[in-house]
Amino acid sequence: MPVEAPSAEKLLDMYARMWRIRLFEEQAEYQSSQGKVMGALHTYIGEEGVAVPACAHLQDTDYITSTHRGHGHCIAKGADISRMMAELFGRSTGYCKGKGGSMHIADFQVGMLGANGIVAGGFGIATGAGLAAQLRGSGQVAVCFFGDGAANRGPFHENINIGAVWKLPVVYVCENNQFAQWTPQKDVTLVTDIANMSPAYGIPGVQVDGMDPLAVYEAAGEAIARARRGEGPTLLECKTYRFHGHNFGDPQQYRTREEIAEWSDNRDPIKQLAAHMRDAGILSDEQDADIQNTVQEEITAAVRFAESSPYPTPDELYKDVYSYDIG
Amino acid sequence: MFADRYDPLQDEMVSILTPDGCCDETLRPDLDDEQIRTMYRQMLTMRLYDRKAVSMQRQGRFGTYAQMEGQEACMAASTYPLEPRDWIVSSYRETGAMWMHGVPLKLLSLYWMGNEFGSHMPDGVNVLPVSIPVGSHPLHAVGLAYAGKYRQDGSVAVTYFGDGATSEGDVHEAMNLAGVYEAPCVFFCQNNQYAISVPVREQTASPTIAQKALAYGFPGVLVDGNDIMAVYAVMQEAVERARRGGGPSLIEAYTYRLGAHTTADDPTKYRDDAEVEFWRSRDPLLRVQKYLHARGAWSEDWEHELLEACTGEVEQAMNDAEAVPQPPPQDMFRYMFAEPSAALREQEAALLAALQVQQKG
Repeated sequence: MPVEAPSAEKLLDMYARMWRIRLFEEQAEYQSSQGKVMGALHTYIGEEGVAVPACAHLQDTDYITSTHRGHGHCIAKGADISRMMAELFGRSTGYCKGKGGSMHIADFQVGMLGANGIVAGGFGIATGAGLAAQLRGSGQVAVCFFGDGAANRGPFHENINIGAVWKLPVVYVCENNQFAQWTPQKDVTLVTDIANMSPAYGIPGVQVDGMDPLAVYEAAGEAIARARRGEGPTLLECKTYRFHGHNFGDPQQYRTREEIAEWSDNRDPIKQLAAHMRDAGILSDEQDADIQNTVQEEITAAVRFAESSPYPTPDELYKDVYSYDIG
Repeated sequence: MFADRYDPLQDEMVSILTPDGCCDETLRPDLDDEQIRTMYRQMLTMRLYDRKAVSMQRQGRFGTYAQMEGQEACMAASTYPLEPRDWIVSSYRETGAMWMHGVPLKLLSLYWMGNEFGSHMPDGVNVLPVSIPVGSHPLHAVGLAYAGKYRQDGSVAVTYFGDGATSEGDVHEAMNLAGVYEAPCVFFCQNNQYAISVPVREQTASPTIAQKALAYGFPGVLVDGNDIMAVYAVMQEAVERARRGGGPSLIEAYTYRLGAHTTADDPTKYRDDAEVEFWRSRDPLLRVQKYLHARGAWSEDWEHELLEACTGEVEQAMNDAEAVPQPPPQDMFRYMFAEPSAALREQEAALLAALQVQQKG
């Protein structure tokens, strides 16, 4: 079943979300360099063309699970960037009351079931969400984002296997950015394409250029529609690239400046979407500037919100670990 | 090359010796009648051992035992191409394979009687103790295989597991690692179609297990597991490939467990008699018998002779195992670590104190 091309309105929304991720991440890195961000920071810069077009097919009632590189998924799914920034700053107005940090942001109101510091930690949660949706007959879909490194972990195998047997409404989206932290994919996996692992589970495997937001939109749309129809999971591999290090401060000795420039200069997903929209007469220079300015203002407001929020008090330390109070 | 010619995605299965004992001459492996007779004897020993083991369990002389009746060809033929330097890392249903690779039946019986020394392999026998947790041990085989590659000792590690184990994350990690490190490892899956009571179609959505090898970039071959010639031929190819540095293979041996999962299982709850009867007609021993008979290499007299000899061998092993004194209870603390931890020492002291109280009482 062909996926309908996104409307102008949809494209503009996607474009703004991609900028929101880009500028949020740039700001987060800056704030990290100023000592304002607590803990490690993994930015999604360069990979915006995966989460945004994939989530464009989802409602708030649909689910996603994320990774340690989770800000992009949060923003794509509609999380509030002020509460995100506050969480990065370790403030009590953050998503986890300032106690979780970058890798634990979740917003159940918009179906974002959580970033996850454990590589491959999202598989079980997404598969469980898919099972819940199937049992309820609610028509909801769960999208599980994961990296190439996670494909070598047991939870990838166990969850895709059972998701396939039970025909769960889950789409497993591999963001293959070619490096598991500092390790190139070829050092840890013999097959080049994660999508080619799908015969092991008897499900379709689809590979798409993750730097091309429209291609991802189409492929993800098809996989999500298939899941919604009750036909089971798809393994969707998006070949992508993170423009910055694994985490903020990564010296990146495992790749060359030329390689990074090749991707960031020529294949930037935001530039690609902008070019498409300009060609289609959907985006003028003025609109483009407006979108970026508006998003920049949102980011500035988010930082202001975070900075003006209090830190959690020491007596909060033992709260929110269990549903009952252990403090 | 079977791996090139048989595509698991097309459901193509290597089959050489048919259930009525006819051999596909174009594929016949280099096994003469004497070797086939030897393998027949080995399979018969496994069958007799298995039945005796169930009887021993029913008499309270064995612990819970995992039956292997129906899967003898998988074990006899897959171990036949191995050399003593090769490793076997198996699950609980491979008593026959462990025996084939040099573990005495007495020791195996000791294991099933619950004596830890049943896992104390004789020097020079490259077999790891039975691994009960499903799918946990293929990683150990990859480690041994990689060690062999590192030492350049020319050894190959073979790991046996069932269809249920293929859903375990550890098996995925093991195969991925073996693939990328080109470890000389053969993954031998005995697909006996049930993980306890779960049928394989509820285990995985992939039509064959052999095709799972595609995810790891090495060959996967589907073979008739009740056909000693096919299993031997496919295994020989995989072992040679691993030994010359060509990396791992996955073999799916399509078979059937005629008995229960273990002595603690009642298979009538999840499969019907007609299915079992169908597979009885595909008995791996029966087809070898027919094959040898047609070639004038089998007679009733020889069969009786074999039955007597093999039964004697099995009985002797069980008696020898029973003659070994029971280990003292505190033995259970001894073999987990080279140096027992403080917690273990404390538990041992508590046990001894409790035993003393019991004796006085």
